Amino acid sequence: MEEWKPNPPVKPHKKRSWYLAWKYKLMNQRALRKLCQTGAVLFLLVTVIVNIKLILDTRRAAYEEEEESAQDYDDEMLNVEVPRHPVNNKKVLDVEVYSSRSKVYVAVDGTTVLEDEAREQGRGIHVIVLNQATGHVMAKRVFDTYSPHEDEAMVLFLNMVARGRILIFTIKDEGSFHLKETAKNVLKSLGSQVAPFLSWRDMWTFVGKKGGEVYGEKHAKSPALSTWGDPVLLKTEVHLTSVEDAECHWPDTELNRRRKRFCSKVEGYGSVCSCKDPTPIEFSPDPLKDNKVFDVPVAVIAGNRPNYLYRMLRSLLSAQGVNPQMITVFIDGYYEEPMDVVELFGLSGIQHTPISIKNARVSQHYKASLTATFNLFPDAKFAVVLEEDLDISVDFFSFLSQSIHLLEEDESLYCISAWNDQGYEHTAEDPSLLYRVETMPGLGWVLRKSLYKDELEPKWPTPEKLWDWDMWMRMPEQRKGRECIIPDISRSYHFGIVGLNMNGYFHEAYFKKHKFNTVPNVQLKNVESLRKDNYETEIHRLLGEAEVLDHSKNPCEDSFVPDTEGRVYVMFIRMEQEADFTTWTQLAKCLHIWDLDVRGNHKGLWRLFRKKNHFLVVGVPSSPYSFKKPSSVTPIYMEPPAKEEGAVAVPAVAAAEQT
Amino acid sequence: MQKINRNVVLALLSLTSLVFLLFQLCYYKFYLSQKNGAAFSKARGSQSGQDSTRWHVVRKFLGLISSHNIPVYLIDPLILGLVDKDIEQIRSSPDGPSPECKYFCAPRDFTTFALLDKTWKHDVGLFRTAEKMGFQWLKIVNKDPRLDGMDDLSGMEIPLHYIFKLASHAIHLVVFYERSGNFLWHGPLRLKQHMDRKFVPFRKLHFGRYPGAYEKPELLLVSIDDLKVQIPKNPSSFLEEMSHSRFLECRYREARAFFQLYPDDASLDAVEFRKKAKSLLHLAALTLNNLGVKFWLSSGTCLGWYRQCNVIPHSKDVDLGIFIRDYKADIIPAFQKAGLPLKHKFGKVEDSLELSFQGEDDVKLDIFFFYEEDDHIWNGGTQAKSGKKFKYLFPKFTLCWTEFVELKVHVPCETLQYVEANYGPEWKVPVKTWDWKSSPFNVQDNGVWPIDEWDNVIQIY
Repeated sequence: MEEWKPNPPVKPHKKRSWYLAWKYKLMNQRALRKLCQTGAVLFLLVTVIVNIKLILDTRRAAYEEEEESAQDYDDEMLNVEVPRHPVNNKKVLDVEVYSSRSKVYVAVDGTTVLEDEAREQGRGIHVIVLNQATGHVMAKRVFDTYSPHEDEAMVLFLNMVARGRILIFTIKDEGSFHLKETAKNVLKSLGSQVAPFLSWRDMWTFVGKKGGEVYGEKHAKSPALSTWGDPVLLKTEVHLTSVEDAECHWPDTELNRRRKRFCSKVEGYGSVCSCKDPTPIEFSPDPLKDNKVFDVPVAVIAGNRPNYLYRMLRSLLSAQGVNPQMITVFIDGYYEEPMDVVELFGLSGIQHTPISIKNARVSQHYKASLTATFNLFPDAKFAVVLEEDLDISVDFFSFLSQSIHLLEEDESLYCISAWNDQGYEHTAEDPSLLYRVETMPGLGWVLRKSLYKDELEPKWPTPEKLWDWDMWMRMPEQRKGRECIIPDISRSYHFGIVGLNMNGYFHEAYFKKHKFNTVPNVQLKNVESLRKDNYETEIHRLLGEAEVLDHSKNPCEDSFVPDTEGRVYVMFIRMEQEADFTTWTQLAKCLHIWDLDVRGNHKGLWRLFRKKNHFLVVGVPSSPYSFKKPSSVTPIYMEPPAKEEGAVAVPAVAAAEQT
Repeated sequence: MQKINRNVVLALLSLTSLVFLLFQLCYYKFYLSQKNGAAFSKARGSQSGQDSTRWHVVRKFLGLISSHNIPVYLIDPLILGLVDKDIEQIRSSPDGPSPECKYFCAPRDFTTFALLDKTWKHDVGLFRTAEKMGFQWLKIVNKDPRLDGMDDLSGMEIPLHYIFKLASHAIHLVVFYERSGNFLWHGPLRLKQHMDRKFVPFRKLHFGRYPGAYEKPELLLVSIDDLKVQIPKNPSSFLEEMSHSRFLECRYREARAFFQLYPDDASLDAVEFRKKAKSLLHLAALTLNNLGVKFWLSSGTCLGWYRQCNVIPHSKDVDLGIFIRDYKADIIPAFQKAGLPLKHKFGKVEDSLELSFQGEDDVKLDIFFFYEEDDHIWNGGTQAKSGKKFKYLFPKFTLCWTEFVELKVHVPCETLQYVEANYGPEWKVPVKTWDWKSSPFNVQDNGVWPIDEWDNVIQIY
């Protein structure tokens, strides 16, 4: 560039003087002059054109060359990346909300975001939360306020929604029967005028901003008890705000960027999105000393229950000795929200196209997840398998770290599980105690790679078999007499109420009262005694010291066990052969423990706690421990009650739970 | 008035013309310097014999990396080549100051480092610090091949390469992943459409044209040119490994299509056979690798890999190929020691050698030795009862790595030609009745062994 600087001032000057001389000389030769002038102009124009062409040419040449140079490295597939949502600069949203007996729908700017016309489903109040800046759907819920307690869940949810969000309500079928005063007041505080007077089979739609204006409300009263209100259709406009107004102003850190991304997409996670004092999303639990499971991959099996997943991951990431890098969340289906949760915590997630239906779908998802886990961590000898509806105990990894060597060395072991099927509040006592059981409890367990790769994976049930993977794993062909190690007090807690084989009643009866360890750093007692032969010695020792209970009393009564603490008691029940669980099932029923199938046994022996005493149940004469029975004692026999018709179906389905 | 106007106009036009002329020249200069920039700077560099830019960039990069506790190691083939010459000296004086800048000052566009994926936490802070230090960076992501073999799983894309650029020098950071089969894998470098093709001269990169497979290296911390850096403990063997590290992924998509047409045999027998074939292959690989004999999947085993990414359950044996130049007399005793007795030995080292070992329960391990000619490669067969010889012809091929039943093994890179030569254009259709003397597409009669040689060339145990 520099060498060109001196020239410009000189050139025109020279040219000008030369031109002047020439001008005077040819003053009168007008025609010639004119010609020259035109010629000059033409010449100049040509220069300009040539210049432009040259620029274009060189540019194209340069571009072509660079195209060529990188050709080898071009991606084969032309990934034209289409943004998921077109950029929308519109300031106003058209919202349509429809409420009727058999159908509800919500459309935002012509896009249907909710449509439910399924029969016998989706009854109650549907709630949709929109982002006030983008108009994206952040949450969709339905609360069956015809049934009890659902209104409380709705209040809880509405309280969690951030101020400024747009809320859309619509009723399908019936939504007022169990809609209590508190809930009505919350709706009223959102600006609804109709809510306090909502009654039986009314139709209702409402659009409003939380803590702000009301965009519209429509209501149709039911004329009589036996009929529904007329369908209502509410059409209204919602004014969008700017993005800045819709976001919190957290300090700009990597964590808060993740938080921001999450909070601008979804709603209903409470304080994690609170502007003032958001709950942390990174936990730094104490590391474990000598952690033997630090390098063991953790597979979290998930479906589309993002709120469960959120709760589960929080507890998992708070457990001592957790290694977030080893965690992979496997989502069954292309659901966005569970993936958002996974990204919020900075974990890696994998989505799985659903194969088959119902139980087979779950089972295929398990297979894919386990295979992928061992592919991703080829060095791993084990994998921890968790589900999205579990709380994880603070000492979960400590428990595994202390026991995992057994799984490596003892061929007679099938798994280590964090779950004791019989570990209820009233039947589990000692966090440092472990058992060997012939059943496979699941619900937070460790799988040996060789077991999976050599035995399970090659013959895993194919998609057309509608089997439960866990039932299949419990079958003798797979288990081959091997046992699992479990703790007395479970290191996981099953909180899921919604699920394939799960409902509120079932959960209340069998899972709610399960004991869950909350004590950190529990030192497990005598882990070596869990090896195959050592365990027999241990059982013989226990039986030797056990006091035989009074078999004339009713074992269901509390008084069956004396009011002592820390003693060992034994009782004998009738068990004709290995598969005779008649008395055990009745005993389990009256003790309010798991009675839907047989769990937690070891050679016809069950171990639990009653009134803080260790309580052993031996099945006579099938159990090899029967010889401990004094000849004077007659094993207790309990007859099953006469079966009521129809009652059979419930346990059959329920037994399939635990997935 | 009119005249003046015209003059003014003319003067203006002349000026414009000049400006354009200037612009044109500037543009040319700019364009030329861009095009030949590398050449120019190289010329300058070689005059002074040093290029401190590179050294400074590498130093900055190492500082960046160590501030985030990321263990990288040097895999730049050019530097490792130089280092290898002085390896004794470098090993013996790990801390000594170096008198001259020998390694990091040769002017190059890149310096290449490797990173083991599992040793870092994908910390985004790294890139922000890099930006603050003045680096421009590019990240190349792609699908995770470890999930590719699986039906319908879609994971997050994984980073395969990073490029950090500062001034005229770039650091190419290759990310290595552990794969089943106990080896390291790096991905190919493919640019997506929107990416800056001119970010660096991609063509000159040493890694990325193909994916590659490597053993896990032992590392050594050394100080070269006053920079502390980890290098593979044995640079020459690393360079040797690099020269034939090309990796082929199994064709999972085609395999899925194959299973759509011909559903997989899930019978207990098939499961059992696959299990046995897998353990036999593992044992064979271990034995041959210990001897340092290079082998590849051949015949039915190769077809199984190529067509269905698995062992063909009705194939009943495991087939391997070995170049006759790699033959070692220890092979037979080594297999016998590993618990695989010799079943038969046909041919001799000079002609048509073939070994067969007895695995567990009737699963047989066949090893065919391949003879290289000018324009083709062949192996031989022998019929025991008649002494007839057969010859199987293959077009020339080279060897690539692949992952098969949790094992890193060789297959012919030109797999399609190899399989087609052996099985013909209908190789995609499963055939259950197979006669090794007549079924192969490439079989030729090759005369008969002279009777007096029979004792030597037909040995059955």
